Amino acid sequence: MYPDWMDDASNPFSSVLVANRGEIAVRILNSARELGLKGISIYSDSDANSLHVEISEEAIHLPGKQLSETYLNIDAIINAAKISGAEAIHPGYGFLSERSDFAQAVVDSGLIWIGPSPNSIEIMGDKISARNKMIDSGVPIIPGEEIFVEKNEDYIGPLAAAAARVGYPLLLKASAGGGGKGMRAVYEPKNLKSQYEAASREASTAFGDGTVYVERLLTKARHIEIQILCDEKGNSVHLNERDCSLQRRHQKVIEETPSPALSNEIRKLMGESALKAANSVNYIGAGTVEFLLSSKGQFFFLEMNTRLQVEHPITELITGIDIVQKQFEIAAGFELNLKQQDIGINGHSIEARIYAENPSNGFLPATGILSKWKFPTGPGIRLDSGFREGDEITIDFDPMLAKLIVHASNRETALRKLDTALSDFIILGVVTNLGFLRDIIKQDSFSEGQITTDYLDKAPESLFIPPSADPSHLIAIASAMERMGINGQLSGQSNGEITDYYSGHIGDPFKTLSKIFP
Amino acid sequence: MEWSIGEENIRYTAELADKEGKLELSSIKKDGNEIDISDVTISHDSNFNRLLVNIDKNSKLAHVVKIKDSYWIHLDGRVHVVNAHEIGLSSQKQSEGSLIAPMPGTIIEILVKEGQRVRKGQDLMVMEAMKMEHKIQSPKDGEVISISHKIGQRVDMGAILVEIGD
Repeated sequence: MYPDWMDDASNPFSSVLVANRGEIAVRILNSARELGLKGISIYSDSDANSLHVEISEEAIHLPGKQLSETYLNIDAIINAAKISGAEAIHPGYGFLSERSDFAQAVVDSGLIWIGPSPNSIEIMGDKISARNKMIDSGVPIIPGEEIFVEKNEDYIGPLAAAAARVGYPLLLKASAGGGGKGMRAVYEPKNLKSQYEAASREASTAFGDGTVYVERLLTKARHIEIQILCDEKGNSVHLNERDCSLQRRHQKVIEETPSPALSNEIRKLMGESALKAANSVNYIGAGTVEFLLSSKGQFFFLEMNTRLQVEHPITELITGIDIVQKQFEIAAGFELNLKQQDIGINGHSIEARIYAENPSNGFLPATGILSKWKFPTGPGIRLDSGFREGDEITIDFDPMLAKLIVHASNRETALRKLDTALSDFIILGVVTNLGFLRDIIKQDSFSEGQITTDYLDKAPESLFIPPSADPSHLIAIASAMERMGINGQLSGQSNGEITDYYSGHIGDPFKTLSKIFP
Repeated sequence: MEWSIGEENIRYTAELADKEGKLELSSIKKDGNEIDISDVTISHDSNFNRLLVNIDKNSKLAHVVKIKDSYWIHLDGRVHVVNAHEIGLSSQKQSEGSLIAPMPGTIIEILVKEGQRVRKGQDLMVMEAMKMEHKIQSPKDGEVISISHKIGQRVDMGAILVEIGD
């Protein structure tokens, strides 16, 4: 049964398998449910009780301990789609989302691929071919010589020569990469070999391809990206920018839109360049073109992400467009019913990524059980997460616990709302960066909108140390809990009342009603 | 019970007084010395993971969860971890080898022999002070090199009780 809105679709479908896990699987499955599509998930052994499985209508188990047996297993995922009768596959982000062989396998199996063509993915996925396309299309690229380093026995000679031609500081990047994995900055020749090996190793683990290339490192630059949507008929629009300049080792931490650094003129030019980039590969679907914006206001193509982006929600909030819904519509063959002049910027939106990590201890990943997990709610507050209270955080997957997204009429209000929401987010049992995020957004550089991508790497040590509380208050609370804890539980049990899990209130009002009206 | 905050090595003790069903902070000692305190009263909320905390006439809600020997506290939008220690399980800083008496008292039980291997946190002896028994626990894994006192003997605060070698 197709949902009603599929009536005039050229490629209608009624069910979608989400080849992913965690918050993005949850987010996509929620959109599918809202649109009347049957949501199907896959899960590994350790994810059997996870939220994305709970909210899907059907879940297929992929046995195995390694990622290559589960979320990176193309054959098993296609097979899961067949078993469950899924008609379409959404790859989410990460995992197989930018693997052209996966897209091809989906298409070859007669399923609908929710994403761009395998050819578009392939061209944009290879940094060299992407750069060449940009040169052909007149999109500005990062200055400096680009050298492709083949990983083979004799890589050191060509690598050193390439590095010398590009010049230091330079950036080693996984050719298949993204999300900061397989990326290393090299400031001095003596670190080249070790950093190359680290980057290559990371790239192999994360993407199954250890190829690394060399690029000039631009300092004091901002990371600005443009969200684009393109349909099969050649219509395309951009949904404005996201400023993702606040990064830690190339991993985004806070993203916002609109960017405090962009004039309308640059926004227009950048949007046009992004669409040129997308059209150069006949792009279909939702995608993101990333640029570096120099301190002089010049921008350079960085890469194109041929998939949904982690930080897509801030764009959704300021434009009112559900990007996942658009992905479904485009995959079904609908024409974009959007015109560039109709896409506005309504207010300001900021996303903070909540990680299980310890900022005061070198950002070491933290593990544990989410013994208390109470997230903020209210107008203009959105939380995208794949976790619930009681879930265990292990070292098996990415340490991102949640994305806290706020929307307000202007930047100042959005920042205050974010600070309030961060302080109201109660996570006990796993160390997080919640306090650190509050400290960052209170920095003058942040409130003035002066953040560049190297900000955190060069920030003073003091930023990573949380402000201390009065020890006597904390000791008093712990001491009181020690004395009261047991009694408190006993009194709760003795009168037969059960505290409501979410509201914290005793008793269910409907239970009371049923006593009066049997 | 002794307390430490996060990774710090400072030890605190607290005294609370019962007052009309609430607990009122009477004193806090930091490494044995009394420190200035605020007016703090604490009472139970209906939700057993929460405490109503009144600090200098400001009412706050503290969310508290006990995990192993630590209390995770969310207060004023920040999370703090307060660790509980049996008295005598001295902090890393002062425990490189010898274990000292945390208080003056009488040794009433010795649970290990010289030459015995012990685990971190294992009970070594029991002391009595102020009519309360306190277990003295090993600060680390190792071998008991020497035991300086006998059952029934009185010891002063700071006296070396046991030496633990690797």
